[in-house]
Amino acid sequence: MTDVPIQMQQGTANERFRSGGPLFDLLSRGGLAIAILAVLIYGSLASPVFFTAGNFVNVLTSMAIVGIVVVGMTFVLVVGGLADLSVPATIACGAILSLALQPVIGPVPAFAAAIALAGFCGLMSGLLIGYVGINPIVATLGVGTIVLGIVQAAVGGVIVYGTNPDTAALVKSRLFGIPAIVLIFMAVAVVGHFALSRSYWGRWTIATGGNYAAAEASAVPVRAVKAGAFVITGLCAGLSGALLGLTLQSARPLVGTGYEFSAITAVVVGGVSIMGGFGSVPRAIAGLVFVQLLTNVMVLQGVRTPVQGFALGLLIAIAVALDVALRRRAGGAL
Amino acid sequence: MSAVATALRMRGISKTFPGVKALSNVNLTVDFGRVHAIVGENGAGKSTLMKVLSGTYLPTTGTTDIAGVEVRMRKPADAQRLGIRMVHQELNLVPDLTVAENVYLGRMPRKWGLADKAKMVRDAAAILDELGAAIDPKARLGDLSISQQQLVEIAKAYAAGPRIIVLDEPTSSLSEHETAALFRILRKMKQEGIAIVYISHRLKEVLEIADDVTILRDGSMIDTRPADGITAAEMIRLMVGREVTNVFPKTPSEIGAPVLKVAGLGDGYNFRDVSFEVRAGEILGLTGLVGAGRTELARAVFGMARVTEGRVEIGGKPVAINSPAAAVRAGIAYVPEDRKDDGIVPSLSVRENISLPVLRKLSRFGRVSMSADRKLAESYTKDFSIVPPDPERRISLLSGGNQQKAVISKWLSTNPSVLILDEPTRGVDVGAKAEIHRIIGELVAGGMAVVMISSELSEVLGVCDRVVVMRDGHASAPVERAALSEARIMALATGEEAA
Amino acid sequence: MTVLVRLVRYRVAVILGLTLLIASLTVSGFPSVTTLGLGLDRSATIGIIAIGMTVLLIARQIDLSVGSTFALAGITAIMLQPVIGIWPAALAGVLAGAAAGAFNGLLSVVFRVNALVATLATMLIFRSVAHWLTDSQPVPGTDIMLSLALSTVHLEIFTLRSALFVGSILLLHFWLTRTVAGRNLFAVGSNADAAEASGIAPGRTVFLAFVFAGTLAGVAGVLQSLTTNTGSPVFGAELIVTVIAAVVVGGTRIEGGRGSALGTLGGVLTIAALTTAMEFQSVPAYIQQVVVGLILILLVVLDRTVRPGPRTHAAAGVPG
Repeated sequence: MTDVPIQMQQGTANERFRSGGPLFDLLSRGGLAIAILAVLIYGSLASPVFFTAGNFVNVLTSMAIVGIVVVGMTFVLVVGGLADLSVPATIACGAILSLALQPVIGPVPAFAAAIALAGFCGLMSGLLIGYVGINPIVATLGVGTIVLGIVQAAVGGVIVYGTNPDTAALVKSRLFGIPAIVLIFMAVAVVGHFALSRSYWGRWTIATGGNYAAAEASAVPVRAVKAGAFVITGLCAGLSGALLGLTLQSARPLVGTGYEFSAITAVVVGGVSIMGGFGSVPRAIAGLVFVQLLTNVMVLQGVRTPVQGFALGLLIAIAVALDVALRRRAGGAL
Repeated sequence: MSAVATALRMRGISKTFPGVKALSNVNLTVDFGRVHAIVGENGAGKSTLMKVLSGTYLPTTGTTDIAGVEVRMRKPADAQRLGIRMVHQELNLVPDLTVAENVYLGRMPRKWGLADKAKMVRDAAAILDELGAAIDPKARLGDLSISQQQLVEIAKAYAAGPRIIVLDEPTSSLSEHETAALFRILRKMKQEGIAIVYISHRLKEVLEIADDVTILRDGSMIDTRPADGITAAEMIRLMVGREVTNVFPKTPSEIGAPVLKVAGLGDGYNFRDVSFEVRAGEILGLTGLVGAGRTELARAVFGMARVTEGRVEIGGKPVAINSPAAAVRAGIAYVPEDRKDDGIVPSLSVRENISLPVLRKLSRFGRVSMSADRKLAESYTKDFSIVPPDPERRISLLSGGNQQKAVISKWLSTNPSVLILDEPTRGVDVGAKAEIHRIIGELVAGGMAVVMISSELSEVLGVCDRVVVMRDGHASAPVERAALSEARIMALATGEEAA
Repeated sequence: MTVLVRLVRYRVAVILGLTLLIASLTVSGFPSVTTLGLGLDRSATIGIIAIGMTVLLIARQIDLSVGSTFALAGITAIMLQPVIGIWPAALAGVLAGAAAGAFNGLLSVVFRVNALVATLATMLIFRSVAHWLTDSQPVPGTDIMLSLALSTVHLEIFTLRSALFVGSILLLHFWLTRTVAGRNLFAVGSNADAAEASGIAPGRTVFLAFVFAGTLAGVAGVLQSLTTNTGSPVFGAELIVTVIAAVVVGGTRIEGGRGSALGTLGGVLTIAALTTAMEFQSVPAYIQQVVVGLILILLVVLDRTVRPGPRTHAAAGVPG
């Protein structure tokens, strides 16, 4: 009777989807659009700088780094993998290695190696979760701790600085007035969206999260699919970290702290169920846009940081509670 | 003995679900100190009646008296308060607590405000002892075998000191020795004046333990008789009842060479030494009582469960099937019994469900070809007249029969040479049922080999070319269509006739 | 029971023993009473929070917000000192923790928000409130002597909070194993439906478990603030990983239904012994992390692969 919130078993998902229906879809999809519109209107009225190209570029830039992680995290939630808490470590891995390896193997190989290693960390988590059957929270916490330690050990536990200013210039360059980093984010988002909605792997991901047993019975390689979501998140976080490192030209071990929560927040606010089987990249990014715009408006309005955090936290709670309530309502009406 | 002789009187009980009348005007009277058996085919309404009695369902019409007082039970707790205890087939126990704690779950004895473990262990040991069950009351429940857990469930009900105890297929996972022990305790409970409602398929056991027998068929009460005035054969006749009309017209088909051969297959627990073969263009029926091992066998053949002995051959060549993917490659398809758990992915559309096993074949460079995907779904939606005829509709919004048609479509998309259908028409309405039978007929006419698992005797008789009956994990020799009758199958399934 | 299974069951004790043995052999001066007392004191904060987390995990829930609750409770206790005095303020801090837990319970039970998401949200909310109240600055307490008094070592080994930790965990052990409510907690975490069918209210149990976890995070936070004579909004930011690691290393299962207080004690002590020993050897903090992470993963994998128990049968759940 009670909802078992952190249930790991892939039981029947039927209860959650029987209720569905067009009314529910409209409310949950349209709700977010209306919310974004409301923030846009309020922002434009309240602050003269809000509705300017400059401000929007700022918003886009600040959402690019976390946005890349959001794309990966969407796969994790959709496949029923709860959350990847190793993101801070994989971001640090990307940031520290992409800078530290520059003098050794050159900037481009360093960039690639950093992402590959972050992907390898994701593979470790994925194997533990998909094949050994370890709880994702424990597995990613553990792997994250180990990875972060090893990366720090590799560079001697200090802050790493960039040695190649050209790379920084490249990341900060603009194309048609749009920062390169934003273009990269958009590319990742488009690829992620098509991978999830158009590729067989994406369909498998949704099926595995929606009903693990039925997917397994339909010859879907469920273990690999589950592991794959964590590899994807590892790669995304690595890329995100590498870009962050190049932008800042310095990397601390704790550079990635908080990104896992920002990413989960965006995905959840976007209406992607934490129980899996349902969701898309555009939805998650809509959640991210909403959160970022709201934050932006609050910043422009001079709202203090703690109040912003408070509002965001409340937002997640309300968004999810509303989602649950709507689903139940829809179930009763059908 | 109680002053009132009648423990339970149910009058005019009907229960209607949207579209289905599960119970219609059932009367049941059970006296204190008697064992009252309820028998009927699968789907005759036994479970529904029991759920009414346990407070899970509120009947649509009808009244229930307990010890002469009219009661209205809205939830299981109400029934428990009135002294009604259920022993479910699906175990309702907590795996991480000890046996003794499970027996006293929700009403643990206290001593100085603490759980009195010593007393609990002592009392549980005494009850288990009476039951003749060699179970350590301090053992963790999850470490016990299923049959031991079943005994704990019975001990739990008995320990509550009930006035009425309802047992649903209590012997389905018990050995003969354990069954004998159970009957001893039932007789003892009888002497203590407890009214016992005993639901079972096993007619031999019913005759051994019951004082009265009520026969249900299609949701209606057929008759109530004293047990010593009835024979197993008579019970079977009353359960089956209807004249065998040809409600399931059989499409004639050419029977060819053997396609699937199962030899000496066993998993060491649920089924043992099972052998049979299915030929192209043939429907082989696989029937037996619930718990006889049919579903476990099918799942093993499809690679969803492990086997410990025997082998599977396709087209004369042995194949190793250790995953559903391997089974699909070998040309086997399986439409599972539990549509909701194993059959559909509820969050996906009909189209996305149908193409799931063949997604890779529909893809190029990882991208699913939408046109191929759509074409596949549209062809099945049309051929099988899935309603509504919209492949984009989320499958969880379809009716059971249409969901089933979509699941069958999903498996046909893999082009199998053998199709295993597990209870393909359970819980679907009459129209969809005929439709599904028509589809199966067309498939065998096209040369497919079909294994159909079904508990519905008229269905088995109507469509199967040969029938294998399973009992306690063993399979009978195939019975040819000409030699089939409901009584014969029932006899094989209940052990009245040796396999 | 095979030796292997027995080893797995008592793995915490084995690992704790091994850690202590290796540490004594390699680190000079490690086996002294002073070191022990030091290790115990530093483990107390994690330990007290781990007590609440043990209860929550057994009930098949989780609370990611304990670190924020920890900070919030400490701030409450310090900021109210000038207003209502030290001890009432301390009590208010603990109550703040309880209220935070009740809020989590409300979200989880009444609004049915997944515990992971709910406490993720409240982690942000409580942390923001902490920053809000303090303007993101550390707040000093009124009585600096109190912190010295709290750090006094009694009986050569216990400080107030380490004594409180050890005492509470023994109480928890007693409660989990001996009381009806404790046993019902396992029932709810293991099979909520069966528990409900037997007349136990899972919702109420889960709610109270959240309140309990919040209260203990509050106690730990108040003690931390009193000991340091400071209330800071950044306190406890990294606690959650260590707490979950300690509880899981102690054998409590994150999927609910299984766990023990003594296991958690073992888990907390193992991690404390490890970090203390490694610090004595000047092992960098990041290597310490690697070791803790490896032990966590290793134990969970062991638990997963050598789990005793019967084979499960599909037949058990097939309805008639």
